[in-house]
Amino acid sequence: MNYRKMLRGLVFGLIALMLVMGVAGCGDSKADEDSNSITILIPDNPVAFNGINTDTGYEQALGELVMLSLAETDPDGNLYPELAVEIPTVENGGVVVDEDAWTMVATWKLREDVYWADGEQVTADDVVFTWDAMVDAGAWYAPMDYTESVEKVDDFTILVTFNSVFPAYNLQFGGEDVFIYPEHYCDAEAGFYEWNCDDQPLSSGPYILEEWVADDHLTFVKNTNYFEEGKPAIDKVIVQIVPEEPVKQAMMLEGDADLHYWPAEPASDIYKEEGNAADYVKSPSERWVMRLIPNMYVKGDRETPHPFISDVRVRQALRMSIDVDTIINDIFLGYGVPVWNDFFRPPFNSCGIPRPEFDMEGAKALLKEAGWEDTDGDGVNECHGCLNAEEGMLMSMEFVIYAEYGETLELAQQFIAESWKSIGIDTDLQMIEGAIMWAEVEDGGTEMAGNFEMDMWDDGYPGTDPSDQIWTFYSSGSDWNYGRWVNEDMDGWIDEFYGLDEEYRLEVACEMATILEAELPQILLFSTLEQHGVSTRLQGVLPSANDPVTWNVADWTLE
Amino acid sequence: MGTYIIRRLLQAIPMLLLVSIVLFALVNIAPGGPMSAYSRSNRMPEEKKEAIRRSFGLDKPLPVQYIVWLIGNDWMEVDEDGDGVMDGYGSRRGILRGDFGFSYKSREPVLDLIADRLPNTAYLMFFTLLFTGIVAVPIGIVSAIKQYSTFDITATTLSFMGQAIPEFWLGLLLILIFYATLNNPFTGESLFPSGGMYTLGEDFSILDRAHHLFLPVLMGLVGWVAWYSRFLRSSMLEVINQDYIRTARAKGQTERKVLYRHALKNALIPLVTMFALDFPFIFTGSLYAELLFSWPGMGRLFYTAATGRDYPILLAILIIGAGIVVISNLFADIAYAYLDPRVRYD
Repeated sequence: MNYRKMLRGLVFGLIALMLVMGVAGCGDSKADEDSNSITILIPDNPVAFNGINTDTGYEQALGELVMLSLAETDPDGNLYPELAVEIPTVENGGVVVDEDAWTMVATWKLREDVYWADGEQVTADDVVFTWDAMVDAGAWYAPMDYTESVEKVDDFTILVTFNSVFPAYNLQFGGEDVFIYPEHYCDAEAGFYEWNCDDQPLSSGPYILEEWVADDHLTFVKNTNYFEEGKPAIDKVIVQIVPEEPVKQAMMLEGDADLHYWPAEPASDIYKEEGNAADYVKSPSERWVMRLIPNMYVKGDRETPHPFISDVRVRQALRMSIDVDTIINDIFLGYGVPVWNDFFRPPFNSCGIPRPEFDMEGAKALLKEAGWEDTDGDGVNECHGCLNAEEGMLMSMEFVIYAEYGETLELAQQFIAESWKSIGIDTDLQMIEGAIMWAEVEDGGTEMAGNFEMDMWDDGYPGTDPSDQIWTFYSSGSDWNYGRWVNEDMDGWIDEFYGLDEEYRLEVACEMATILEAELPQILLFSTLEQHGVSTRLQGVLPSANDPVTWNVADWTLE
Repeated sequence: MGTYIIRRLLQAIPMLLLVSIVLFALVNIAPGGPMSAYSRSNRMPEEKKEAIRRSFGLDKPLPVQYIVWLIGNDWMEVDEDGDGVMDGYGSRRGILRGDFGFSYKSREPVLDLIADRLPNTAYLMFFTLLFTGIVAVPIGIVSAIKQYSTFDITATTLSFMGQAIPEFWLGLLLILIFYATLNNPFTGESLFPSGGMYTLGEDFSILDRAHHLFLPVLMGLVGWVAWYSRFLRSSMLEVINQDYIRTARAKGQTERKVLYRHALKNALIPLVTMFALDFPFIFTGSLYAELLFSWPGMGRLFYTAATGRDYPILLAILIIGAGIVVISNLFADIAYAYLDPRVRYD
């Protein structure tokens, strides 16, 4: 028996098979230079065309392709009407405030030239239907707490009655979360979370969903009924679900894709280089702020003040010892901007709070003033007359990040820990899943239970109104005030912030910014950039910190 | 044999029941939970969260959740709105009656989600296993027959490499070479696609399917061929030194007959056990291949369910996987009896 011949045949057979398949294989999904279609890359399968029932963060982005809202925010923070004729304000008479009862009503006028893809007109009934569907399903987003009723006045007018003055009223039926659904099409009986509109939406936006193969791709085609004349310019949008970052990067560089949604910093660095098939675009404003969350109390104990984090001088020293510029430039490859106060976005960023200095010696001096000093030479400070700890107690704490962010956050954690070590603070570095960090108390969630000492993660708000985020993080009445920092003055100013007098709100914001700067209930470090990779042939992509990058997809063109 | 199969199937019932209890407990007591999506900077009021927990059935004690998952709640009255008043019978039928619940995230029935992805995984894994057999069996046989030859030493070295190379790294390397570097000389396009099951927007073609199948299969093949060929080699070596092989040769049988009729048939028997253990991969898939090559299969469904704490999906895949392990082991035992007349179960 000639085994050599047999094996040779096997090897040559496999090589021949490979070559034949490689050479004869049909064309790849390469973005065809001649076709008027684009390919967007996202890593996860969206759960639904539902911004409230969001999971992956891509639900809103795909929703923008097919659905419209009453109003949106542009990348510069300006509100603009979409289905509405204009944004109701006190000035134009669209909002009436009852100063005595401290309530308000807002009147929305709808455009009369917008139609669903099946030819039916978009009317006030659809807006009321959407609201009722959300309420009936037990869905929740901030406006639910302030809304008394949503009523149809006529086919193109809606009256919203609020139980309190609510400054974010203008994005109640818009922003990145809420789309308006068609009453005549969505299966109301099935409900807001289960209905056909979640996976077979009827379009009012620039595109129509043609096909959705779960975990593989979604294909959208131009909505010929779209109300903006001559738009969209691109006939077809294919959204491919590609989980791995290096694969997405290779596809962009090979010209097989046109938009890499939220690339990691190293990929953006490559896209920026000249001569690639890909380019890099970023938002003019930022949103996601990397922040340290200090727990004012002992881990898992809401009664006993933390031995050293509860002392504001220690928190100041912690911040002072972090070289934010090095983290931004060397770890995040320059894709970040320093942020030190939650009022960092227009129009509330004019309070003149100076940027804190990086000063290791100053940090050491502050710790010494707070009664923390290394007298035995072991590299870790001990308590010597400190505020909330026993004499001799070591300055040591857990420092936790979440796993999903990736390597850059891990490097930042290590870098910060090294800095703290050099001022005598010992850290036990840990990384946990986001599903544990933000889980409920009964599920072992560390944040809600206060079962942490120092955490680092990113958060931010879309749009122009930070009132809800400020309440969430800093109000004594909020369960999401994870560090349990309590300040009566702050509580008072937060209440004052819920108003419509913009000048007064600016003053209030500055009062709060001053308190936050003095007390450091959270230590803000920098904002990561809202950035995307785009092919050189795709024009008009304007990333926004206020809305998904697809907010203006109808304006995109191909070169 | 019939009695044996019935006995084994009956034995599988308490075993699967026990497995279901362990899996249910492990999944539910692991830290983290499905409500985490509602907590991060999203101040959903407690009563709203409570309503969501109630709609998922998470408000009940764990043993009750297990019973509902297993046998449903359409035989018991439930309080749907949490007002303390029973609102009627529940709607869940339980996994024993084919109701695996719905996804906490997409609210779609779990079986629909599995049905969407299972054919894709089975398709990928079938060809991976098929080509594993086609490549590994000849290598294993020749390595054993030509022990310590150049071929055997080369195959041994390559199979150790195949076992040692991290699958994920290999996949990236394949993409780098066959997608990002090598081009089709006629079209100028990449030699192989970076992922997906077919070319979007084109009509069905077997060649296109094979083109997309090549790299993920090759990635899986390397490790499995290494493993199976080594296993078959040692099994063959054990068999060809047995007395009955010498007897066969002494009786004047041809070498081909000795090797294929007598040696290989017996050497394949241990491989049946190995194959039975690997068979469930046809259901569960290869996570790395699916992630790297953007393959919409079960591995990715499981992965996203695990990271998102989507318990119904997680439990469905685990318990169905456990069932397949039990059944494939039973098939292995039956195959044993067929291949080896000395094995009798009755």
